[in-house]
Amino acid sequence: MSLLSNTATLLGKELRTEFRSRELLTTTVVFILVVLILFSFAINPTSEESREFGPGLLWLAILFAASLMLQPCFLREQTNDTLSSLRLAVDDPFAIFLAKLIANTLFLLLTEVLMLPLFAAFYNIPILPKLHYLLLILFLGSLGVSIAGTALSAISAQARMRELLLPLLLLPLLTPVLVVSATVCVSLLDREPVVQWKGIGFLAIFDLIFLTALWLFGEYLLEE
Amino acid sequence: MKNLGSIFAAYLIGWGVFFLFYLSIAKRTSDLRAEVERLKGLVAKGK
Amino acid sequence: MVKRIILGFVAVAFVIAAAYASFFIAPTERTMGDIQRIFYFHVGSAWAGMDVFFVCFIANLLYVWRRDPQYDSLGVSCAEVGLVLTTVVLITGPIWAKPVWGIWWTWDARLTSTFVLWLLYVSYLLLRSLIEEADRRALLSALFGIFAFIDVPLVFFSIRWWRTQHPSPVIMGGSGSGLDPTMNKVFFFNVLAMHIFAAFLVVERYALDRTRHEVELLQREAEAA
Repeated sequence: MSLLSNTATLLGKELRTEFRSRELLTTTVVFILVVLILFSFAINPTSEESREFGPGLLWLAILFAASLMLQPCFLREQTNDTLSSLRLAVDDPFAIFLAKLIANTLFLLLTEVLMLPLFAAFYNIPILPKLHYLLLILFLGSLGVSIAGTALSAISAQARMRELLLPLLLLPLLTPVLVVSATVCVSLLDREPVVQWKGIGFLAIFDLIFLTALWLFGEYLLEE
Repeated sequence: MKNLGSIFAAYLIGWGVFFLFYLSIAKRTSDLRAEVERLKGLVAKGK
Repeated sequence: MVKRIILGFVAVAFVIAAAYASFFIAPTERTMGDIQRIFYFHVGSAWAGMDVFFVCFIANLLYVWRRDPQYDSLGVSCAEVGLVLTTVVLITGPIWAKPVWGIWWTWDARLTSTFVLWLLYVSYLLLRSLIEEADRRALLSALFGIFAFIDVPLVFFSIRWWRTQHPSPVIMGGSGSGLDPTMNKVFFFNVLAMHIFAAFLVVERYALDRTRHEVELLQREAEAA
């Protein structure tokens, strides 16, 4: 299928570009780390409170990091003027979005996985017992963040004050992801863990809805 | 009449907000109308 | 123009009548007292706000499809009016809640969704102010408007299903259901009045945007001449 092969090619380009310099990954990891540390300075959690607040703070840190990490997504194309050549290279403009959002999801996931041991240590929360569920929620949540973030990054790249604008557009939009991911993680990492399948289903539906919206309207986002 | 002060405050502030919004629209409209006339004059002179 | 003036008078008449009904026709609520009367104004504004945002959503879709600047004018008008209505809802709500429940705010589904809705449309207007070129501004804000609107039910349900640890004070005795029949009639009259008033504000704001458009065209003509 043309869409898949186009996406695969573009995805390869995105990954190669990032892994050449790794600047996005390293800065994002450090940023989440700093935010997590600052949170514990600000609220001084005891062990019990950590279980309740920790996952929420983790997701907050992920959201902040994502809204910074997603800035270069389309900005890079704008500054280098590569967007028109990208559009010519593919039949379906959705491939461009698909490649970028998969790349962004992978970057986010990689950042989160690197952060997990530190998170577990700082907040005294054992994560190994339910690691596979935790990874599932991280995946679905990060996917949601990436889909919305990639779309909005295409919008903010064409406006002024884009560094402030992207978080302003993105964060209210991602309220459902924050609420559900944080709550599901809290019950997952509780002393008596519970897997909230309703929440996991909701995140999947959120991802599906915004992916569909991006598929329907993506080409207009790229209009010159 | 319980809590009468609160309800008056609510209505006053609420309608105050609507009124201020309408005023801002009316002012901007009249300013732009004046601008339209001015520009029409310029275009007529230019022709 | 004449139609706009008539609409204005009709809107004001309805709103005054609705206020009169709220104060003098509706019976006093037993537990809360007269503060409950804010319910007619508050919920009327909320419903009108939601409907105006829905019209904004349709206008956004139509703009992306048709690219007619009139849809852009309609979109921005609905967004601003909807935002004003929602602001009034967010102000009158706490004024009601404080004397009755002793708290200004609670993070229940309805209040939180309203607040996020407010934030989304503030972002919509902010986005517009940061794009200079008219066509680009219209298209990008329409697209953001579409994303924002489809997010609203997701916001509402996410909070409703995962943030109900704290029981939320029921702000209204069930919208119209189980309400005293006179209160019901006053309520729906208020809803109607707020819708007419909202329509009047949208029409006025739309006319303003069309005038702005005219100014832009004339400016280009004047430069050429």
